[in-house]
Amino acid sequence: MNSNEIIDDIANKEYEFGFTTDIEMDIAPPGLNEDIIRFISAKKNEPEWLLEWRLKGFQAFKKLKFPTWQHFDLPEMDLQALSYYAAPKKKKQLNSLDEVDPELLATFEKLGIPLNEQKALTGVAVDAVFDSVSVATTFKGKLKEMGVIFCSFGEAVQEYPDLVKKYLGTVVPHSDNIFAALNSAVFSDGSFVYIPKGVRCPMELSTYFRINAQNTGQFERTLIVADDNSYVSYLEGCTAPMRDENQLHAAVVEIVALENAEVKYSTVQNWYPGDKDGKGGIYNFVTKRGICKGANSKISWTQVETGSAITWKYPSVILQGDYSEGEFYSVAVVRNRQIADTGTKIHHIGKGTKSRIISKGISAGHGDNSYRGLVSVGPRAENARNFTQCDSLLIGNQCGSHTFPYIESRNKSAMIEHEATTSKIGEDQIFYLNARGIDTEKAVALIVNGYVKEVLNQLPMEFAVEAQKLLSITLEGSVG
Amino acid sequence: MTSDTIMIPFYQALTEDVNALAAPQDSLQELRRSALQRFSATGLPTLKTEAWRFTNIQRFLKEYPYELTSTPATTTAAVANEASIPGLDAYRIVLVNGHLQADLSSIPEGKGIRIGAMSASTDAPGFAKWFNQHAQVNGEPLADLNTALFGDGLFIELQANVSIDKPIHLVHVYTSDRHAFIQPRHLWVLQRGAAATVIESTVHPKQEAVAFSNSVTEVVVADNAELWHYNVQQGAENFRQVNTTAAQQERDSRYHHFNITLPNTPFTRNNLSVVLHGSNTETNLKGIYLATGNQHVDNYTFMNHLVPNCNSNEHYKGVLLDNANAVFTGRIHVHQEAQKTNAFQQNNNILIGDKATINSQPQLEIYADDVKCSHGFTAGQFSDDALFYLRARAIGEEAAKALLVNAFTHDVTDEIAVPALQDYIQGQIEAIMNN
Repeated sequence: MNSNEIIDDIANKEYEFGFTTDIEMDIAPPGLNEDIIRFISAKKNEPEWLLEWRLKGFQAFKKLKFPTWQHFDLPEMDLQALSYYAAPKKKKQLNSLDEVDPELLATFEKLGIPLNEQKALTGVAVDAVFDSVSVATTFKGKLKEMGVIFCSFGEAVQEYPDLVKKYLGTVVPHSDNIFAALNSAVFSDGSFVYIPKGVRCPMELSTYFRINAQNTGQFERTLIVADDNSYVSYLEGCTAPMRDENQLHAAVVEIVALENAEVKYSTVQNWYPGDKDGKGGIYNFVTKRGICKGANSKISWTQVETGSAITWKYPSVILQGDYSEGEFYSVAVVRNRQIADTGTKIHHIGKGTKSRIISKGISAGHGDNSYRGLVSVGPRAENARNFTQCDSLLIGNQCGSHTFPYIESRNKSAMIEHEATTSKIGEDQIFYLNARGIDTEKAVALIVNGYVKEVLNQLPMEFAVEAQKLLSITLEGSVG
Repeated sequence: MTSDTIMIPFYQALTEDVNALAAPQDSLQELRRSALQRFSATGLPTLKTEAWRFTNIQRFLKEYPYELTSTPATTTAAVANEASIPGLDAYRIVLVNGHLQADLSSIPEGKGIRIGAMSASTDAPGFAKWFNQHAQVNGEPLADLNTALFGDGLFIELQANVSIDKPIHLVHVYTSDRHAFIQPRHLWVLQRGAAATVIESTVHPKQEAVAFSNSVTEVVVADNAELWHYNVQQGAENFRQVNTTAAQQERDSRYHHFNITLPNTPFTRNNLSVVLHGSNTETNLKGIYLATGNQHVDNYTFMNHLVPNCNSNEHYKGVLLDNANAVFTGRIHVHQEAQKTNAFQQNNNILIGDKATINSQPQLEIYADDVKCSHGFTAGQFSDDALFYLRARAIGEEAAKALLVNAFTHDVTDEIAVPALQDYIQGQIEAIMNN
């Protein structure tokens, strides 16, 4: 196969994980208004303050406009045509995995995420979110022993209302942006994590999201609180079934790290990207932000973005505590008509704060990949330090790759470095490997693997494998 | 072009009824009217305008009740001499508020050289062909405003294979007895194989009134032509400026632009755009901004790669003292056809002042795959090791810092191809640092 054929082949490759599951749904009528919000709130049996908060989010949503600064045309979205609540009908209280809908289990199996196996082999506690409502949570008992709270958001609201009330919306306020406001108003469920003082969470916490029912946007809300001297690594992975109609995913993730705490948040995202003409696909408009509240705390984002028609998110870190640290590692792959406008924002507020940004973009086919980032150093951030590297790899001459960094320094003692490069895979590199008996396809895979290694190295083991599998689809035969 | 003064406070007229600023009556009437219409449709940039995010031009325009004037003014030899660069052998051309003052100027003459006031050059072939043709002029609010209202400026056209034996030293004098908003407009055309060096300096006679210049320079470098363009912005407290330089390059041409911003002018915005229409070109954009006090310096550069096989190199270095505030934007746009492009960009800054700030946006927008593009940004301060090394050799702290700043800016000053100018700039930097 010559290189062009390989590129065509890959560019046209069908989405491998496209299938739908038939489960009886409990769906709210389409439309967005106060009644729907009250309906969701009532359905979830929420306290009055949370309903108030949702309504405040709705008020903010009504006032906000869709942004226009992004480097792509925002598709027209009729948010009134969406249904804002869908939950698998609860048959009865579930105690073990055996009681979970077998069809749902089969779906996870097809995705290569068998709950049973994971439980047995990997020691990962999985909080499976299937269209908004958490249906199975494992390893809960073990975590409970250590005082770690890892449950669905709805459960947390019932059982730990004080904790939720204290931290909800403190990192991403209800009026932050239009999608965050929408999420605040209608969020269905999500995950809640609390790591108590001095606890090192013994296992990787993970959730798998799937978007299933047609016409339902998913609005998860994740809140992670790491108390003093604690540590947690949290994984999020996604695949979604094939759909013709675009689906909006506007999640919010909030992370709070108190003194000496460390939170590591990893994402592998492989939602349905649309077909080769850009029809269908998920809109992944997510607001992710963490705050290093206490001194010496650390938040690290790692993401591997291979799916979605449009990926639009900027996992950010506010470095408020002195000597706190923020990291952002990203690989974003676009092909066909995919669009990614992603990057990070790091706000250096406390003194001695450090940040590191590594972003690797790969564009193929007609894909459009943008890195957009902000590094700001406030006047109090003495001796702040930032290093940013964003590299882009172009495969084929129809794709685009862009970098839009914003660097703002208000402190003379800050050291900021930023570098960006754009290039294709060198013919000399391919030739070198060819000359050593490695065929072109493997050579490209080797080079690209080396190219993204810095980021994949940051992923926990279980994820690194999955991420590499996802990437290889795009990597093979990418001779420019 | 007629002379007249409009007595409406300028900012008010701009925001209330832009059409009250009737454009001067001349042969370019139609062009001026459409530019004014475009300007009134877009209005002045605000902080929400992406290209002006960190520069609030409205604040600077509101500062004084500027008047719009295109009345020719004159100056004296003594004033013009303030801009002289020791050892520089050049043709000096003096423009006062954009108007050519012939008695103080020595204009190069010869076959194929046409240099004169814009107002006297509208019949030149180069004028008809190139005036106001640049996309970065049409549509940029302040450039549109300039097109609508400009008074005068310098026209240069060199015919094919003509080169000028000495550099042209263009001395801009800004003087007015009232606060004035001045709109100079220049067009320089180098036909095939022509070559020239232009050094721009500014002089600001001591006076109460403040001059705000909104100038536009259009540059055309045709096939195989070469232009060295130095813009030395020696500041003054009573001066504000927006400079738009829009260059276009044809096949095999070379354009070298140096922008050196020195202290005192409270507000400087430089818009520099280069569009490449022919392949195998070379473009060098070099800049130094050395800012003190409450200076605000904004450099907005745009490299537009439309065709294959072009090289561009951009290097801007900033030294910020006191409360100085600098903005750098470097856009590189590589179009799909522009394969084999090499585009490099670097922006380095030293923050010395406690309240000094830098906002930088290096941007790459790339639609071709066989390219090498990169950008780099750094912000930092003196290395303690370097300072210690010098001090251990009995060099005082101030002198050591001056030495380090000189070394820091050396990347750019070293590229200045006119030795007298190079010495002068290095001397200026040292003098400022020693103060």
